[in-house]
Amino acid sequence: MRVLLQLALILGICYAGDLIHDYTGIPVPGNILGMLILLLLLCLKIVKLDQIREVSDFFLKRLSFFFLPPAIGLMLVGDDVKSQWPLLLFLCIVITIVTMVTTGWTVQLLSKKSKDKN
Amino acid sequence: MFGIILTIIAFELGVTIHNKWRNPLLNPILIATILIIGFLTVTGIKYETYKVGGDYISFFLGPVTVLLAVPLYRHIQALKNNWLPILTGILVGCITSIACVIACAKIFNISKTLMLSLIPKSITIPMGSVVSEQIGGIPSITIVAIVITGITGAVTAPLVCRFFRIGNPVAQGVAIGTASHALGTTKAMEIGEVQGAMSSLSIGVAGVITVFVTPVLLNVFG
Repeated sequence: MRVLLQLALILGICYAGDLIHDYTGIPVPGNILGMLILLLLLCLKIVKLDQIREVSDFFLKRLSFFFLPPAIGLMLVGDDVKSQWPLLLFLCIVITIVTMVTTGWTVQLLSKKSKDKN
Repeated sequence: MFGIILTIIAFELGVTIHNKWRNPLLNPILIATILIIGFLTVTGIKYETYKVGGDYISFFLGPVTVLLAVPLYRHIQALKNNWLPILTGILVGCITSIACVIACAKIFNISKTLMLSLIPKSITIPMGSVVSEQIGGIPSITIVAIVITGITGAVTAPLVCRFFRIGNPVAQGVAIGTASHALGTTKAMEIGEVQGAMSSLSIGVAGVITVFVTPVLLNVFG
């Protein structure tokens, strides 16, 4: 597929996701609905990976670039938040480790059980 | 134009610095954020002036999020073989992360907006920032929290797995991806191929689960 057509397809899916979100009131953002639509199209082989390769490579390789402008919005954050940064940093680190451990233990426990059954 | 050029230069500098030292603490988006905010502060240019160009870049967040279906699709086979432990693990991880944020917010008296901004901190930026906006958080705080979370995962993953005796490669990968999205996944890929694939898969699944679970948990505990 031509590159501009690929882009049009992705934008179209994005738009469809937004429309579904607006008309049904599903509490899932339009972007994510769009992602699920594309996943479905790929699984059903209606869209093939090769057909959207150029566009997906271009965007996915520099994914984080597109998030810089929203991150700069930090400049507008009030002093009440700024004074809490050390606490936030600490919480982010601890919660990440706790999440990793509970996830890992759950997977490990359940895979051991299913193996024992076999 | 100004905002676009500044963002591109800062991003390329961030990537160059990251590639040179390959240290997870030198995350490109963290470096670029500091560079841009520093530049705007030093020159006295207003955020609103920057935002004119920045908005052209943010416009592409929609299509970028839709395209996350591609890596998810690539790893869906790995999920089919082992779906019950993997999905349960990711679900438990997502609930743990959200519940910890809500609990800590109560313990440390953190404001509601801030708590809502931290809730989607374990998932990938495109999904996390939309969730944050949806539930009333501040996306820019969420993005920074997501980056800190990712760096934590990438730095601590090998130690955490050893110390808490998570030896199963599938469990390691799912744990890293669920707790610390794409940034942690870079580490998972270094540890091993299975870990990398499982971690990549978990990024998308954890994101989708968090999108669905967050409103429910907020209703119950929030």
